[in-house]
Amino acid sequence: MSVVSTRYEAPRAPWLDRFVLLAAPGLMYLALVFALPLALLLLKSFQNQDGAFSLAAYAEFFGDPYNLTVLWRTLRVALLTTLLALIIAYPTAFALARAQGLAQSLLLAAMILPLSVGVVVKAFAWSILFRSNGVLNDTLKWLGLIEKPIRMLFTETALIIGAANVFLPFMVLPIYAVIRQLDRSLPEAAASLGASPMFRFFRVTLPLTLPGVIAGSAFTFSLAISMYVIPSLIVGERQQTLSMLIARSYLFLRDDQLGSSISAILLAIAVAVVLGSSWLAGRVAGGRR
Amino acid sequence: MTKGRFTPKVSRRTLLKSTAAAGVGILAAPAILRAAGGEIVVGCAGSHTAWMEGIVLPHMKEKFGASILFEGTKSSVNLEKMRSNRDAPYLSVVQMDDPVMILAVEEDLLTPITASAAPNMTELREGATHMDGMWCNYVQPWAGVAYNTDLLDGVPSWTQLWEAAYEGQIIVPSLQNTEGMWTLFAAAHLATGKPLGEAQYEIDAAFDKLAELKPNVLTTYTVMSQAFNLLEQGEIQMLSGNFSSYTLPRKAQGVPVDLAAPKEGIFAMPSGICLVKGGPNTELAEAYLNEMLGAELQGKVAEFASSLPANTTAEVSVTVPEGVPVFGPDWAFVSKNRKEWIERVDKLMSA
Repeated sequence: MSVVSTRYEAPRAPWLDRFVLLAAPGLMYLALVFALPLALLLLKSFQNQDGAFSLAAYAEFFGDPYNLTVLWRTLRVALLTTLLALIIAYPTAFALARAQGLAQSLLLAAMILPLSVGVVVKAFAWSILFRSNGVLNDTLKWLGLIEKPIRMLFTETALIIGAANVFLPFMVLPIYAVIRQLDRSLPEAAASLGASPMFRFFRVTLPLTLPGVIAGSAFTFSLAISMYVIPSLIVGERQQTLSMLIARSYLFLRDDQLGSSISAILLAIAVAVVLGSSWLAGRVAGGRR
Repeated sequence: MTKGRFTPKVSRRTLLKSTAAAGVGILAAPAILRAAGGEIVVGCAGSHTAWMEGIVLPHMKEKFGASILFEGTKSSVNLEKMRSNRDAPYLSVVQMDDPVMILAVEEDLLTPITASAAPNMTELREGATHMDGMWCNYVQPWAGVAYNTDLLDGVPSWTQLWEAAYEGQIIVPSLQNTEGMWTLFAAAHLATGKPLGEAQYEIDAAFDKLAELKPNVLTTYTVMSQAFNLLEQGEIQMLSGNFSSYTLPRKAQGVPVDLAAPKEGIFAMPSGICLVKGGPNTELAEAYLNEMLGAELQGKVAEFASSLPANTTAEVSVTVPEGVPVFGPDWAFVSKNRKEWIERVDKLMSA
């Protein structure tokens, strides 16, 4: 009788995968320069001046109607910026994915190169575009749509247009990455079964590209809700956002507790959006299987 | 006669004597020699960039062979840099406004300037040295109302800012900026009719008057360059509270702007300079500061920035407008109340 010995190998848990170790430097870096300072910041927001536990800063923030106005404005601007960026980015991503050779290279360069131009330079350029005798007003007047210049500078509309312009690549690229992997035969199959172009888009193409849309929206929203330089330059102090309140608290009011509590509120919103979008992306992916 | 070959004989005692003598010589030499070479970082206002780059840095390079790195930003940001790096300061000298200097003194961030470290401080006019030498004023620009000369002939009175014809045509500085105080004090004067010296304490009246200005205010700024750009472009007609060291050099370059001195009064900008406590390269820092207080450099800066030098021996052709009161506020009062005013004006001006 022969004895056959077999060695049992337990299935390895994904986190034990040695390739996970490749992320170790990045994780350590993030832990040191991101997680640790944020944890200290959060801790500070729950302390009073004597270091004892206190919710006073949160009570002060939510008890002031002005702060609630700023919170709502910040959310509204971030949402509208994300929406505008999505409307522009979605067809752009398709054009980018379907383009070939030189055209694709040019489109990609057009998408990436503006990132190398600082926001300050862009803000000055926008002031030329948006001013009373700027290109936009002159064009509208020439077209006969307006009789006298309309105010564009220092408006929320200008801020949303400017912010969407800055964050556009962060919306386009995730959608582009998904579209590139899209099986082109699926819409064609739907067409062969008699589906109209509208039906094919809403029932086949859009659901398949939703993970890219969700990722791009999460990127853009997170960037838009925490932007500081862009609103400072485009709308100034009359339309403050949460980030501007944070800077004001630290630099001018010298109120660390208020600054850290507003930072924590901003962070909570951003984390909720990222987690929510991840959950949504998972649901979308799950729904397709 | 035979020429003997010189052979230096250096005994241990001679060597020790020579070294000691050299040491004493170095210590006895003026700071300017000891400060030669090296590098310091100076914090200053962003609006100082033109003359810091054009005048001060080349002067220091020529004088000391030293590299002066400057960081141009707002006074409050400079204060935060000092505060955050209290245990290991990297700034050696900071040039910022008086009300922020008061906060820096309260937080024990400055080291006093002495006449032995900066002999030129003895030549400053009375009142230019504050709190037992914690800081000194070096040049003093004056502030009024900047306007676009293509659109306006002048601004004879502060009341012009409130006229209905200028709806959306004015930008005012935030109270986060020192120059933001001028509109507030002008509002206090217009509301109460009292001289600026008395009106500055009538803050409730000032805020009521500021509320009336709101329709004319396009925006409030903390970053001046963009606001000034809009004035130059003619997008706005007036920039309240602007000052001679920024507007007049632009005017001299042919830009269609000028600075008005309204009849009710103009304001003295409180430009101060201080030594950071524990800042690196003390000797170079002191030498730099001494030069900034000296007649030669102050003359050059004051001419460029259309400001009055604090050094009484500096020769300049600059004058402040005549026939209008020049007002210097109670900075201790400002410093004590500024936080509350900032919050209040932000809410008041909110769109």
